[in-house]
Amino acid sequence: MRGKSLGLAMGVAMALGWPAGAGHAEALKIGIIESLSGAQTSTGRLFATAAQYVVNDINKNGGFNGAPIEIIEYDNAGGTTGAADKFKQAVADGVHVVLQGASSAIAGQVTEDVRKHNIRNPGNEVMFINLGAEALELTGDKCHFYHFRFTTTAPMRVNALVNAMKKAGDLGKRVYAINQNYSWGRDMEDATKAAAKTGGYEVVETVLHEVNKIQDFAPFVAKIKTANPDTVITGNWSNDLLLLMKATGDAGLKVRFATTFLDQVGNIANGGQTVLGHYIAHPYNIEADDKGFPEAYKAATGHLPVYIEPQTVNAIRTLGKALKGVDFKGGEVSVTEIAKALEKASIETAIGPVSVRAEDHQAILPVVVSKVVENPKYPVDGTKLGFGVVETIPGPKAIYPVQGSCKMDRPS
Amino acid sequence: MLARVAAIGVVLAVLIAVPPLLGIGWQNAMTNMLIASLFAMAFNLLIGQAGLLSFGHAAFFGVGAFATLHLMLAIEDRSVSFSTPLLPLAGAAAGFVIGAFAGYFATIRSGVYFALVTLAVAELLHSLAPHWDGLFGGEAGLSSMRMPWGGLSFGSTLEVYYLALGWTALSILLLWAYTRTPFGRLTLALRDNEQRVRFMGYNAHATKVIVFAISAMFSGIAGALLAISNETANYSLFSLHVSAQVVLHTFVGGSTVFLGPVIGASVFTLFAFFVSDVTRSWLLYQGLVFVLIMLYAPLGIGGLVQAHMQHWSRLRWPDLAPAYALAGAVGACLTGAVVFLVEALQIVFSPEYAAARRRLDGAWPPIELFGLEWQVFSPVTWIVPSLLAAAGLLLLPHARRKLRESWDGVLERAEAERTAEPEPQLAGAVEP
Amino acid sequence: MHRRPRIPRAKAQPMEFLIISALNGVIYGLLLFMVSSGLTLIFGMMGVLNFAHASFYMLGAYIAYTIATTVDFWLGLLVAPILVGLLGIFIERYLLRRVHSHGHAHELLLTFGLAFIFEELIKLFYGDFPVNYAMPDYLRFAGFTIYGTDYPFYRLFIGFVAVAMFITLYLLLSRTRAGLVVRAAERLPAIAESLGHNVPFVFMGVFGTGAAFAGLAGAVAGAFFPTNPNMALELGVIVFVVVVVGGLGSLEGSLVASLLIGLFSSFAVGLDWSLAGLLSWVGLGDWARSVGGVFTLTLSSISGTVPFLLMLIVLLVRPAGLMGERN
Repeated sequence: MRGKSLGLAMGVAMALGWPAGAGHAEALKIGIIESLSGAQTSTGRLFATAAQYVVNDINKNGGFNGAPIEIIEYDNAGGTTGAADKFKQAVADGVHVVLQGASSAIAGQVTEDVRKHNIRNPGNEVMFINLGAEALELTGDKCHFYHFRFTTTAPMRVNALVNAMKKAGDLGKRVYAINQNYSWGRDMEDATKAAAKTGGYEVVETVLHEVNKIQDFAPFVAKIKTANPDTVITGNWSNDLLLLMKATGDAGLKVRFATTFLDQVGNIANGGQTVLGHYIAHPYNIEADDKGFPEAYKAATGHLPVYIEPQTVNAIRTLGKALKGVDFKGGEVSVTEIAKALEKASIETAIGPVSVRAEDHQAILPVVVSKVVENPKYPVDGTKLGFGVVETIPGPKAIYPVQGSCKMDRPS
Repeated sequence: MLARVAAIGVVLAVLIAVPPLLGIGWQNAMTNMLIASLFAMAFNLLIGQAGLLSFGHAAFFGVGAFATLHLMLAIEDRSVSFSTPLLPLAGAAAGFVIGAFAGYFATIRSGVYFALVTLAVAELLHSLAPHWDGLFGGEAGLSSMRMPWGGLSFGSTLEVYYLALGWTALSILLLWAYTRTPFGRLTLALRDNEQRVRFMGYNAHATKVIVFAISAMFSGIAGALLAISNETANYSLFSLHVSAQVVLHTFVGGSTVFLGPVIGASVFTLFAFFVSDVTRSWLLYQGLVFVLIMLYAPLGIGGLVQAHMQHWSRLRWPDLAPAYALAGAVGACLTGAVVFLVEALQIVFSPEYAAARRRLDGAWPPIELFGLEWQVFSPVTWIVPSLLAAAGLLLLPHARRKLRESWDGVLERAEAERTAEPEPQLAGAVEP
Repeated sequence: MHRRPRIPRAKAQPMEFLIISALNGVIYGLLLFMVSSGLTLIFGMMGVLNFAHASFYMLGAYIAYTIATTVDFWLGLLVAPILVGLLGIFIERYLLRRVHSHGHAHELLLTFGLAFIFEELIKLFYGDFPVNYAMPDYLRFAGFTIYGTDYPFYRLFIGFVAVAMFITLYLLLSRTRAGLVVRAAERLPAIAESLGHNVPFVFMGVFGTGAAFAGLAGAVAGAFFPTNPNMALELGVIVFVVVVVGGLGSLEGSLVASLLIGLFSSFAVGLDWSLAGLLSWVGLGDWARSVGGVFTLTLSSISGTVPFLLMLIVLLVRPAGLMGERN
């Protein structure tokens, strides 16, 4: 039942001359509950690769608690039922930290499972590091002490987009919001409406559509055309983004897209020239990184950091920083102590510092607004296109107020 | 009969005594096995007993789960007081009511049309649920927590397992009792000859509606157990995949044998538990097993077991054993070849392998399979599965002939003894 | 959740939306027809509801993608339907015929298992994500421009292929001797057989042709719509709706139903109708909105649900469908 990477961790252990079986020290176990089969596989893989990259680094520098950190992979088969199942398996395997990120619906399941587990098993807590699920409720209604989010949310992305695009004169006065009909899409719609005043625009129409089911966006494009917007703000990802932009290109409709997941692998290649000039707000842009991380990452994994990999690396690096602040002297690992240390941990990245807001465990991280340009330093997907930096918004400026719905019970 | 009761007793004793010795992962897998078994048994009441093939049983499974979660939520915020072990009653009630409603319409039709109505019902719910926040919790679904009751915390997987075991055993017992009632016999008659049932003055439609509702009720209990185990439910419970799984389980296990669906469900859930983290092709294997069974053993695993039990005294093992050994060897060869090919191809076509190749500037790194390293372009790598396949295919006709000969002998002896009991019906049992 | 009471807005939409949506709907409908024609023919003749039929559509797209990326786009359009047709013949001859004696339910289950296998095989070889199957660049131009909106030529091309296919099929069935035998075998297989026609051969041919049409549809449409491992499942359920609504076994019916469903899905996104809006005509709008739930769902957000509702109603009220002749 073990993932393949366990062998790798053991391999590292041997190479570093740790005693076989790692003595009596309790190794920190990290479980990745991701979609490793089903529709979201490639994203799930990226999370796993990036996490493994940092953990290898930590293990090279002595691991934690006298043993190398172990990563175990669990395939949630892209669904909440699978995630619930694999969470139980992870608990059975003695996992301390759960990682997940590819879907807000699954994150909702995992965070609830973690909360219930911790209520039932005081002293044997598990913590959840959310790498990419952006639904606001995770740090709102559903927030709890053992959940940490290391990515942006809808208001962070939309506010950054609106401000940067307004400055660049690319926003216009008429904005259209088209989003997927679930927690994330609704967050995006709300954030778009909320930013209307500061952005000085009118939301001409909003649409919520089914998630990753629509084959043909032409009817929606016809609808957008009728509303005659300057900019379309969308939180769509995967096929829903690609097909929407393709249909817009096919119809010859001249609008600017302000997106959040245009940097997903393959989008630029699939979209071709139609994506040129469109905007994205994301937690990282490789063009702004001059500290050598991209090359180091490529040397270790075979590819430059893409999509959600950098934010995953930052999350695990922050965890690594927190681990330096606790010492269990080779004895039992206390997740509560690690969580407390993580609340206070912060790291420097090439884009700016990353830290955790203690009130709701939302990470304070910089947001980069970029635009698809030709011939950048790092072209993506084997095309000539890439993401040119428009503006980097530092974490404290990008963050939004703590949601009132977050009532966190803190351990004493 | 006595032997059968004893066998069931032994199985039950194992199911009760062993799990505390196992890890949580196993306990959870066994809980899933029980839930899948109950669901398949409920489904089989329709196809096996009444001859109605439903392609939308996920509807009732899901309804049971959602009803239970609503009750759990009410208990959690203390607006209702209800005993935790009796939670599946909510699933049963919801399943029965929705089942009676859907069944009333579905059973107006028969055959393929019946299957299509059930499919449409499930798809209707599947497409509606993510948009209906109040009832189904939208896309994310509903989530609650099991509350302690009567000194039990219901916090551990083991407690959930015993709860599932109790409900599954009780439900299967009730389903068995049902087949012994005059009404149960009537459903069988309905399957075999609906005209005759009508001529005898029974209302065929009302009978079908009741069977449908009962089947939906037990499906609802299975859904409730899943809701209790996972403490969550979302619209994906209504998906075609769930409806498909129960069809697969039932027919692989054998729909004409009472406990056949349990066999199928157990084999497949444990199979999934073992291999889903090891290989990503397990759904493919599942499909292959299903198609092979449809082609070569239409009565399923249960049908094979039953045939052996029926003719136990007539089996001549000196004849059979070599035939089975040969068939086993052929099966092992072919399985080995297929698994080797599928796994090797899966690795070569995977994104990780592509990444590894990029790292090595386009060289083809060896693939790791069964603990060994294989060079992609080395003839050795491909000779192994080829030899296995060739051996299997060469011996296949021989094995089939031997099997047929030895079983012909068994059947001849049965014919010769020919008691008053009529020949068991072998084919056409799944005719709608 | 504050919704303004709205009157249906479809009438208020400009002509432009109407025309574009109608065109899109017709072409999507024609695509549905390309897949459903084979399914309905096979059912009409053999009584087999082929669960794997939409898999032929998917296989067509993937085969064409493979050929288009390695050799040539047009060769892919030619070869994909032939290969898929041959696969269909193989399935009919060696698998379906084997289980025929066990009854229709068994055949249904077999095709169901095959659909399962095809999906997994595609995932094995091509991964879970959509592949980048695209038309060549010289086909990527506007067929015409209307109210400032370009209408892609390739959409028209899809429609053209579908119409050509329908005409061919219609002429084959109504004007040729083979078509006569097919129709005879469909109505009265026993008599057709006794008249010396090779009915099993006819069955095999029809199955292969139906599969080839689905493969052609996949090859053509896959270059425009996404080509991914879920495409069979997604289209499959809609195609079931089409053949049921049109009447199982009726070619004309499935054409009408395809267009109906196509137009509906195209127009539904513009419709903000809800039950609450409907009830406000009789003064119950506020009550319905206060209840929420199913009353405030807009038609556009549940456009995926309506086809199944339609299918249910047809199955229960008129199982022969719009144009079917028998139950």
